[in-house]
Amino acid sequence: MITHISRRGFTAAAIGIALTTATPVLAQEWPTGPLHVYVGFPAGSSPDTIARMIAEPLAEALGQPVVIENKPGAGGVIGVQQMLAQTDGHSFGVTINGPLTTAQRMIADVGYDAVTDIAPVSLIATTPLVLAVSSDFAADDAASFIEDAKARPGEISYGSVGQGSGAHLTAELFASEAGIELFHIPFQSYAEVTTSILGGEIDSGFMAPSAALPHVEAGKMKMLGVTSTEPFPQVPDVPVLAGQAGLPDNFRAELWDAFIAPAGTDPAIIERLNTEIDTILGDKEIQDKLLAIGWKAEGGAPDLLADRIVEDTELWGAVIDKTEAAE
Amino acid sequence: MTTLEGLAHGFTVALQPEVLIYSLFGALLGTFVGVLPGIGAMAAITLLLPLTYYISSEAALVMLAGVYYGAQYGGAVASILLRLPGTPQSVVTALDGYPMAQQGRGGVALFTAMISSFAGSMLGIVVLVVLAGWLSRVATEFGAADYAAMMIMGLVAASTIGSKHPAKSFAMVVLGLILGCVGTDVNSGAQRLTFGRTELIDGINLVALAMGLFGVAEVISNIRRADRHGPPDRVTLRQLIPTRQDLRRMVAPVLRGTGLGSMLGALPGTGSTISSFLSYAMEQRVARQPERFGKGAIEGVAGPEAANNSAAITAFVPTLTLGIPGDPIMALMLGALIIHGIQPGPLMLEARPDMFWGLVVSFGIGNLFLLILNLPLIGIWVSMLRIPFRWLYPAIIVFICLGVYSVRGSVFDIAMVAGIGAVGYALSLAAFSPALLLLGFVLGPLIETNLRRAMLISRGDPMIFLERPIACGFIMAAVALIVFPVVKSVFRGRRTGALPPDPQGIWTKKKGRR
Repeated sequence: MITHISRRGFTAAAIGIALTTATPVLAQEWPTGPLHVYVGFPAGSSPDTIARMIAEPLAEALGQPVVIENKPGAGGVIGVQQMLAQTDGHSFGVTINGPLTTAQRMIADVGYDAVTDIAPVSLIATTPLVLAVSSDFAADDAASFIEDAKARPGEISYGSVGQGSGAHLTAELFASEAGIELFHIPFQSYAEVTTSILGGEIDSGFMAPSAALPHVEAGKMKMLGVTSTEPFPQVPDVPVLAGQAGLPDNFRAELWDAFIAPAGTDPAIIERLNTEIDTILGDKEIQDKLLAIGWKAEGGAPDLLADRIVEDTELWGAVIDKTEAAE
Repeated sequence: MTTLEGLAHGFTVALQPEVLIYSLFGALLGTFVGVLPGIGAMAAITLLLPLTYYISSEAALVMLAGVYYGAQYGGAVASILLRLPGTPQSVVTALDGYPMAQQGRGGVALFTAMISSFAGSMLGIVVLVVLAGWLSRVATEFGAADYAAMMIMGLVAASTIGSKHPAKSFAMVVLGLILGCVGTDVNSGAQRLTFGRTELIDGINLVALAMGLFGVAEVISNIRRADRHGPPDRVTLRQLIPTRQDLRRMVAPVLRGTGLGSMLGALPGTGSTISSFLSYAMEQRVARQPERFGKGAIEGVAGPEAANNSAAITAFVPTLTLGIPGDPIMALMLGALIIHGIQPGPLMLEARPDMFWGLVVSFGIGNLFLLILNLPLIGIWVSMLRIPFRWLYPAIIVFICLGVYSVRGSVFDIAMVAGIGAVGYALSLAAFSPALLLLGFVLGPLIETNLRRAMLISRGDPMIFLERPIACGFIMAAVALIVFPVVKSVFRGRRTGALPPDPQGIWTKKKGRR
């Protein structure tokens, strides 16, 4: 019988054995093929632009193409779901904070756990929000804004980009820390919020510095404060809210963007990716490009991102509890 | 810088060889993606975006803009010839364009669409140059209450249009409104009608809905005829040229369509899809013989085509002068500018006059190029109908799937387009109008979000709709649209509620065509 085994059959069997023993992918040989990076936002959006900025130098460093897969929807959750659905050892994700921190609270069943199903790789960049008002608004700084709000609770309105959005939760956190009550009006985009502020329909809003900047330069809006703990390079003159007007010194509300992997990815691969990404983010040219679209390059160890996920889930969870209790 | 100096400066920018070539390339590419059902300007711009990092900012923006307005030309082609709207904006073009094609006047319909698109764009450019400042002020003045009132008027205007079956029309509008509710509630964040599917959290994909209702349904209803060939075998030049009567009928609709389109395009909260629907509704209302609509009325092609093209031009007003994009495509353009270090906003005209005026002049050049390009292509497009259906229709289905997938890379949406296609076929058998369903779907969410936002802003006081002059005007107009026909028929001693005769069912799809 043995003599009747054809060469083709033997080769097929040998390949079969080789394939079964070759998994999991060994870190030394990795990557053996193109990397797929899932982004839960459409091409041209800022998470996508950031992912593409990283993808090009990353592909060079790893010697394999890095393909961006746009799977937009549900505030970025679909991108994470799609990444987790792949099992080839070459699928990763770039996502903003929402799907890893607040999505579990906003969507009935996201189908994953941000702590047990996700392996953090690296924080990429952060951006604060600014508190912006129309130039006709009486208050010129955060302290007088808070004073004004205390004098007429619930009357000052603010726009956000939707229930549970970063802009909404930031405003609620700010209000609760300052001990004031603001009136929430949800919109769908910063474009709508700024139009509404310019048209005098609403009073204020927390928004990306880049959304407010052109109107501030034209003298139609003013920025009262920024939610990062240090002045943000894109708007260096805007004072930080932390420590001002009775707000705590550690007051911080930032959006962030991170590189993630499915849980169970070989730690050596995570280490390799983290090192490469950290090097890329250290490049001045990349830092400037990020800043031009309103983001500050971060980098750092995977643990830093893991801590951030846990901290922010707790921080925003408490804010969501509070708003839900108020309704 | 005066307007004339600006234009002169614009010519020097737009006529640079690099800028010119990218402009023409964009316009050409736009035409082709517009022709293909489901693949719109959005997909093409998304693909081109990474390329723009490597070319000058003027060339990049001019190219992307070319794709955007080029697609408005191309969208009409499949809509007229095959009743397969290439883009959602050209859905209404099918209502009269397709009957024209069936009467052997497909060439004339295409010619009309091209000429009207060109005229609409050119007049739109004039509006942009002359009224940009004023339009951008209006755009910020327009509040939630005004949008809500305007959309309510639009819905009333378009859905009370005479029909043989007012009940069926009403049913379709309501079904459209219900489908528009699918997704996340903006105010509470709650999920509505998503049945636990994450894919539905952002609502039903407009492209999937339009392609299913029109494209797939049309293919299914043609299966029986799959072995036959399409109607016209040869197109002579004579068949392309509109008659003098055709031309006379086009002028007023083009002007009205441009007026409506340039206004709606400049408002960040609306878009070119709505402008074409409302232009169609307006043409039918002002027509002396409204019964001709749906049977190949040239006004029904001319008005909406002029409207969506002028809207595509004036959509740049809020994007460039306020930094406020009106639709996802404009948001992409804004992104492209920011990547090049240009921040659109109130100061852009002073900070980067080269960019602004260069773009304006490139619109003119691009549209002229599109006209010169498209007129000779009409013959080729019409001869597409000579492809046997057994080849043509499977190819169309492939393109629809590609197009729907290209919107957000979702396999779920492909399954959805198949399901919607089956429903669309059932609706067409029962003589329901898919166009009205789409109207409800497009306007419903806009009405809802703006209405609820207005009520939040007024802290629950409905008087906001009467206190704001713009909103009040639209509400009055909506009321007049409902009351006027009733009063008119009472005065004429006719039976109350009698609507203009419509033996063919204008907004309803006819059975047994061809």
